[in-house]
Amino acid sequence: MRKVLCAAILCGSGMFLGCGAPREGFQPVDKDSVVFWDRQVTESAEFLKQIVDEFNAAHKEAIPIKVERAGGYDDIFRKVTASIRARVLPGMAVSYENMTAQYIPTGAVAQLDGLVTDPDLGFSKEQLDDFFPAVLDTNRYTDFNGKMYSFPYTKSVLMMYFNKAVLAQAGISAPPATWDEFLDQCRVVKAKLGKFAYAVNPDCSTLDGMIFSLGGEVIRNGIPLYDTPESIRAFEIYESLAKEKLAYQIAGGYDDQIAFGKNEVAFIFRTSSGRPHVTMLMQDRMDQWGMTRIPQADPGRPATVLFGGNICIFNNSPEQIRAAWAFIKYFTAPEIMVRWALGTGYLPFRKSAAEHPDMKRFWGEWDYNRAAFDCLSFARPEPNLAGWQRVREYAAGALRKVLEGSLTGRAAALELQQQAAAILKQ
Amino acid sequence: MRRAINNAQHILLYLLLAFGGFLTAWPFLWMMGTAFKSYVEAVEPTLNPFPKQWHWENVAAVFNAAPFGRYFFNSILVSGTVTCCVILTSVMAGYAFARLRFRGRNVLFALVLATMMVPFELTVVPNFTLIQRLGWYNHYAALIVPWCANAFSIFLMRQAFLALPNDYFDAATVDGCGHLRFLIRIATPLVKPVMVTVALFAFLGSYNALLWPLLVTADESMRVVQVGLTYFRGDFGVRVNLMMCASAIVILPAVLLYFVAQRYFVEAALSAGIKG
Repeated sequence: MRKVLCAAILCGSGMFLGCGAPREGFQPVDKDSVVFWDRQVTESAEFLKQIVDEFNAAHKEAIPIKVERAGGYDDIFRKVTASIRARVLPGMAVSYENMTAQYIPTGAVAQLDGLVTDPDLGFSKEQLDDFFPAVLDTNRYTDFNGKMYSFPYTKSVLMMYFNKAVLAQAGISAPPATWDEFLDQCRVVKAKLGKFAYAVNPDCSTLDGMIFSLGGEVIRNGIPLYDTPESIRAFEIYESLAKEKLAYQIAGGYDDQIAFGKNEVAFIFRTSSGRPHVTMLMQDRMDQWGMTRIPQADPGRPATVLFGGNICIFNNSPEQIRAAWAFIKYFTAPEIMVRWALGTGYLPFRKSAAEHPDMKRFWGEWDYNRAAFDCLSFARPEPNLAGWQRVREYAAGALRKVLEGSLTGRAAALELQQQAAAILKQ
Repeated sequence: MRRAINNAQHILLYLLLAFGGFLTAWPFLWMMGTAFKSYVEAVEPTLNPFPKQWHWENVAAVFNAAPFGRYFFNSILVSGTVTCCVILTSVMAGYAFARLRFRGRNVLFALVLATMMVPFELTVVPNFTLIQRLGWYNHYAALIVPWCANAFSIFLMRQAFLALPNDYFDAATVDGCGHLRFLIRIATPLVKPVMVTVALFAFLGSYNALLWPLLVTADESMRVVQVGLTYFRGDFGVRVNLMMCASAIVILPAVLLYFVAQRYFVEAALSAGIKG
């Protein structure tokens, strides 16, 4: 009797929760507007709202765009995942590649290739050539026949921030261009000032950036490449930094930027979009710091990591898809992109932005304002495979082990290779 | 000599208690002080809670960053309604499980308790799906209805009703009292401290909820205070001073409520053996 009762209740709950509901098409969360689930806050949220209002005013015949702040990336991922199950979706949402890769198999995400090349709605060849190739490539998903399922939105690159005041005290006049120079300068800072030169935020993107800059890759044809000489070299650099006490691992958050602002370290590696935060921490002492591309193995063939979110459009109705795409096209026009970049700190990812007078004026205001934009031509995206998030966690863990001294650089690289291969095989 | 030892023991005890109290209050003090620091001072890893210079303008900055007045209204409305509903459902269900005799009572109670074992994260997606299908997305119903009953409160109330001597019910029955009248006129006043505890837990649980309100609301006019706190966390870091300032403002109702109901709360916690 008890078993029967339990079974009846569980079945009833399952039906109540919609487990057995038949699958149907996706519906828009709001039929009267194209809802955009975004994560911008404070000033940048206001700025986005302003751009959206202008778009709506200029496109009165179309369904209006409505921005809704849906929390951070994790919150948005949960909200979209739950919405996919409920078959009720917004018009579009900000998304990292690994998030989009998980939405695609459900059929919820609109494929954009047709829209991008559409003679009426899309971009001309000249316009497409105006985008930096990496920002488009990262939205083509190798797991899904290389089709485009998202479009660039908030882009930035991995940069090296250097503290001029600390370097000057150590007798160094220019930041390092190569990794050997970087290690040498760290040793000089340590020897002359007795302090750590680099506050490390153990993070997969920074590791990947180092590997790219050393001439390596992190994946090819779905096979991870953390056991290549370049990857092992990247780990060994961290091993040297830890063994010689040239660097320390931060406890978390943005402690590296805080240490940088207090002249406690000479170098940190962070996204270019962190510039406003560092500016605040340096209390506008703009003559005492700078930002430049990360050190390279061969400065003649540079590389760094491309960061940032994209926008994916959801498959809820043809009208909503068209309206969402119209907004994306408007938003990525050079004029708007320059305004967005100047207002928020993200990078304009069209080459023609370099010719815009406002951009030129901004670059003229500080020696290093252009540095990040110049990196876009050689920035590389990280893999956009569905399991990559777990690889990222293992990569950060491997870096921590090296910094704590529990593994050598080589051993950490080989262990990560095995873990990444196992994850991607799944 | 013995008196001196007693005094020394007392002093030591009070010192230890004071130290424990200080440690407990320290994060609160730090939050209050940081609320009025400049950004640069706030991010410094210092133990000093007091600002070098008081930045009162942080309060205005918080209210300018987001419509906290509206958020407060929503939070109080939602938490207040949830609290009333939880008291009602837990008193009724608790009494039924404690005093009524019916087939399957123990199985049903075990099932209710089993819901406590299901983590919130596991129920988020099906609950969200249900809310969407009911058409409650971005409505107060989505913020209130799913939290109107919970196993923990029912359990607490059941234990409280079980502790009442049977003689009370027998005497009331002799005088012609039915279950409903006994519950309202006799049992409920006797379990008031537990009810206050249930109310406090329900209010604080609802008032402090973040993920669920973020998921089921869309418009700023529907958001609650905890969602407002996330506005100070962006891509580039956390605006620690503004976050702490907003937090200090946001926790005020909860702290006030605790002080008002402190006596009942402690009484019930001691009698029910709840650990904080």
